[in-house]
Amino acid sequence: MIKRFLYSQKVAPYVFVLPFVLVFAIFWVYPLISSFQMSFQKITLGQEAQYIGFDNYTKLMTDKTFLKAIGNSALYMVLTLVILIPFPMLFAVLINNRLMWGREFFKSSFFFPALTSVVVAGTIFRLMFGEMDGSLMNSILALFGVGPMKFLKEHTTGMIALLALATWRWTGVNMLYFLSGLKNIPDDYYEAASIDGASSFQKFMKITVPLLKPTSIYVLTISIYAGLAMFIESMMLWNGNNSPKNIGLTIVGYLYRQGIEKNNLGYAAAVGIVLLLITMIINLTQLAFTGLFKKED
Amino acid sequence: MTKSREKAVRICLFIFFVIISFFILVPFYAVTISAFKPGEELVRYGLNLKFDLNVMSFDNFVYLFTGDHAYFTWFFNSLILTIVQVVLTLLISATVAYGFSAYDFRGKNFLFICVLLIMMVPFEILLLPLYKLIFNMNLMNTYSAIILPGIASAATIFFFRQYLSGIPKELIAAGRVDGATEYGIYVRLILPIMKPSFAAMAILNGMNSWNNFLWPFMVLSNENKYTLPIGLKTLLTPYGNNYDLLIVGSFFSILPIFVLFIAFQKYFIDGMTAGAVKG
Amino acid sequence: MKMKKWFILLSVISLVLFMSGCGKSSNSSGGTKSVLDGGAGETATELSYWTFVELHGQHFEKMLTKWNAANPDRQIKLNVTVMPYDDMHNKLSIALQTGTGAPDIADIELGKFPDFLKGTPQLESLNDVIDPYRDTIVKSRIDLYSKDGVNYGIPTHVGAAVAFYNTDILKEAGVDYTTIKTWDDYKKAGELVYEKTGKHMGTADTSATWQASMLLAQQGSDFTDADGNPQVNSPEMVKALTLLKDLQDSNVLATVAGGQPDTEEAYGEFNSGNYASAFMPFWMMSRFTNYMSDLSGKVAIAPIPVIEEGMPRSYGGGGTGTVVTKTAKDVQLAKDFLAFAKLSEDANIEIWNTLGFDPVNMNVWTMEDVTHNPDNQFVKYFQNNPFDVLNEIKDEIKLIKSTPASPTINNVLCTVTLNEIFEDGKDVKQALDDAQAQIEQELK
Repeated sequence: MIKRFLYSQKVAPYVFVLPFVLVFAIFWVYPLISSFQMSFQKITLGQEAQYIGFDNYTKLMTDKTFLKAIGNSALYMVLTLVILIPFPMLFAVLINNRLMWGREFFKSSFFFPALTSVVVAGTIFRLMFGEMDGSLMNSILALFGVGPMKFLKEHTTGMIALLALATWRWTGVNMLYFLSGLKNIPDDYYEAASIDGASSFQKFMKITVPLLKPTSIYVLTISIYAGLAMFIESMMLWNGNNSPKNIGLTIVGYLYRQGIEKNNLGYAAAVGIVLLLITMIINLTQLAFTGLFKKED
Repeated sequence: MTKSREKAVRICLFIFFVIISFFILVPFYAVTISAFKPGEELVRYGLNLKFDLNVMSFDNFVYLFTGDHAYFTWFFNSLILTIVQVVLTLLISATVAYGFSAYDFRGKNFLFICVLLIMMVPFEILLLPLYKLIFNMNLMNTYSAIILPGIASAATIFFFRQYLSGIPKELIAAGRVDGATEYGIYVRLILPIMKPSFAAMAILNGMNSWNNFLWPFMVLSNENKYTLPIGLKTLLTPYGNNYDLLIVGSFFSILPIFVLFIAFQKYFIDGMTAGAVKG
Repeated sequence: MKMKKWFILLSVISLVLFMSGCGKSSNSSGGTKSVLDGGAGETATELSYWTFVELHGQHFEKMLTKWNAANPDRQIKLNVTVMPYDDMHNKLSIALQTGTGAPDIADIELGKFPDFLKGTPQLESLNDVIDPYRDTIVKSRIDLYSKDGVNYGIPTHVGAAVAFYNTDILKEAGVDYTTIKTWDDYKKAGELVYEKTGKHMGTADTSATWQASMLLAQQGSDFTDADGNPQVNSPEMVKALTLLKDLQDSNVLATVAGGQPDTEEAYGEFNSGNYASAFMPFWMMSRFTNYMSDLSGKVAIAPIPVIEEGMPRSYGGGGTGTVVTKTAKDVQLAKDFLAFAKLSEDANIEIWNTLGFDPVNMNVWTMEDVTHNPDNQFVKYFQNNPFDVLNEIKDEIKLIKSTPASPTINNVLCTVTLNEIFEDGKDVKQALDDAQAQIEQELK
């Protein structure tokens, strides 16, 4: 009896999606609700939580350090988008050229950095961007006669180090995404364009870029998310969550600082909810503009 | 195109990629060199490319293999955790994705929007409530605490669903005609077709799992349960001079994945590129 | 179909591993490297201990053996977990906030301690086990870890700040460190050193407040007023940082990689002989012996220069309070052991022998055979005997208070303000006014 019920065509789909429903309810909905609730509370060690209305949120709006964190995260996200979408796309097209020598080797070497953990990669970059004369970056600068720099103590150079780390790790992965997109573009399109006398650049702009749109949307979505939620990279690069003048502080870093380092659970929860809203708004706007939902329906 | 022009394009392309690869590989070279140098050297001069035989030796490697530390425990933990996590996540996510793609049922759209939403919720904002939850479930310091929250991974479900949408419904109908049960169809007919997409997702999930840091770090507090990234991070403290082990350990943590990667290079790249993202 | 078989096999293995992982309790079965048994028998109670200093574990190991021998009916096994500084405090903080997963005993560093005293501290009162030793130890060190008269932490050391001079560099420049009494003397000496060797006399710290604290202590001031409210733009503070800034402008001080002497980058710089002096609490000695082996026999210890002669020449800097958590398995046992391991005379002698700290039991400071033991690694490393200096400044060791505002003050000064002043050259008064405003905003 039970067996027949479970095996019926009506019930089977629910059995298939059950694991997701459980995980969603237990590990997402419940914690999200308690985060939301906490964001309206003042929580003190060993005492009952007090409801304080929107106090946490109004305080956030004037919190300079928080605004700085938002600024850093937003700048980092925008710059990673600017670097990590066009360049990997270009590399993918070039490496896909039939005249390319050693294609497999280059694909692999571009992919290598993604195999290292952030802990390892961040430590390597921290030591490379060290301020000692002998560190890698400073010894390169010395070749051009530029004095040693304190990379990780200044806003601009600190951001460069963060971007270098992101670019190094993700160029290869994004390139592979685009390569997979390229596979879906039929060769006849290019042949037809060639007959019409289109230049390589025209072909790239008129055929490749538009037809890679689905891949680009996917990469864009995950990059927005990854950019706004970045934390461990900064933590490893500065060997902690306290960078000079907070140049490496991100939104999640601030959440971590308030909630875990300073025991302000309620305030940290508010930071989390603001981050959630920002991510949602940006991504939903982006998806609405690029028309993913239209296609889904 | 003329022969000579073709050749010029070839050479330009090649040189361009050699230069880029050079920049990508430099950090690896620097780590490799540093693995042979004493940690003190590293702290004093930073990471650099100096190939100086006078300060280089196998001491760090000797220490790695014979010293009194937990490195290989961490390494083994990471390996097991990665394998278990990847296999379970793939199996379960594929099953869920099949449910979404093969059937029309009440609440399907709502549930699928939930999948999309999860992809946009930064996991980090859940750290504290999730920590409490895991504790109340009595799962602190277990690998279940790491595996369970991610076992139905939204991105993986999304990817599989996209992949499955390319599979003709007739196949499923034919299965029913042959008398297969709903689950039989999935196991016997669909799973085998999904093989290429499994490869791609195995790589992505495997990378994530091998490198995962923040959440495992929060729930694991016993040194013998640490994974490699956590273990390596514990070496980064001014209160214990551990740079010797840190760098050689980092070097060695990259090495096996490289070997695996080079051995299965074709599957890696093909798997990644096969799973085309269809909009 | 070969792939399929593999896949099934892997799935089965995974499931088995997963299930067995679920079933296992979180306690590791014995025999691990981090469990110290100190000669304990089968019936010993296992206590867990978190620290961020590996050496503290070694000290406990010695004291554990003594404890187990003296208390056969109350034996202990100690499960030591060493984690990086930030990580350990963060994990402890979550564990205490959620009431879950905390160890029995933990080290909490002074800079983080006030955060753990917020609200109702989730720590046990240690008054009863401290009482028997109260007369022998420095009171102010206990007060640092107390709230409303309840003592929550047991101190490790006094942390008297002293000056460390690299005499090789000074000799090259023809400077005698014993003649440096005031900051004016120090400046003259520093200018000479820079002129003769091109090296800097000392560091301008951007990521720690040791120097600022010393200068405040000399003026009888503090980061907070009598009520514990922040006052980082006080005239004394402006004077202190202006003095340091002036030393930096005349090339006597320079910023250092890492931002202060107690970082791995700075150890390298000092070891290479790039800086001629450091002003640090007494425990910096162990960093010299551990990380700066090239300087062995070249470093001398002296009192810190003062603004005007007659001002106090030291303050107690840094420190670690060891606590017993409310969730401890056997609270009384943990407390008794802790007092034994850190407050008894034996313990204080060991703290000097193993860790090279200035023990809180000042009687030890005058035990010639302990402090002048020629086999002691610290005695060997330094040119003069550290305790000769300590005993000279004994009555001048001032206190910089630890208040609920302290972590915020420290965070703002060490991440923002000091960097602005010494790296960007921002006006001292302006930078401190901004810091004060920022701190007040954060504490609201």
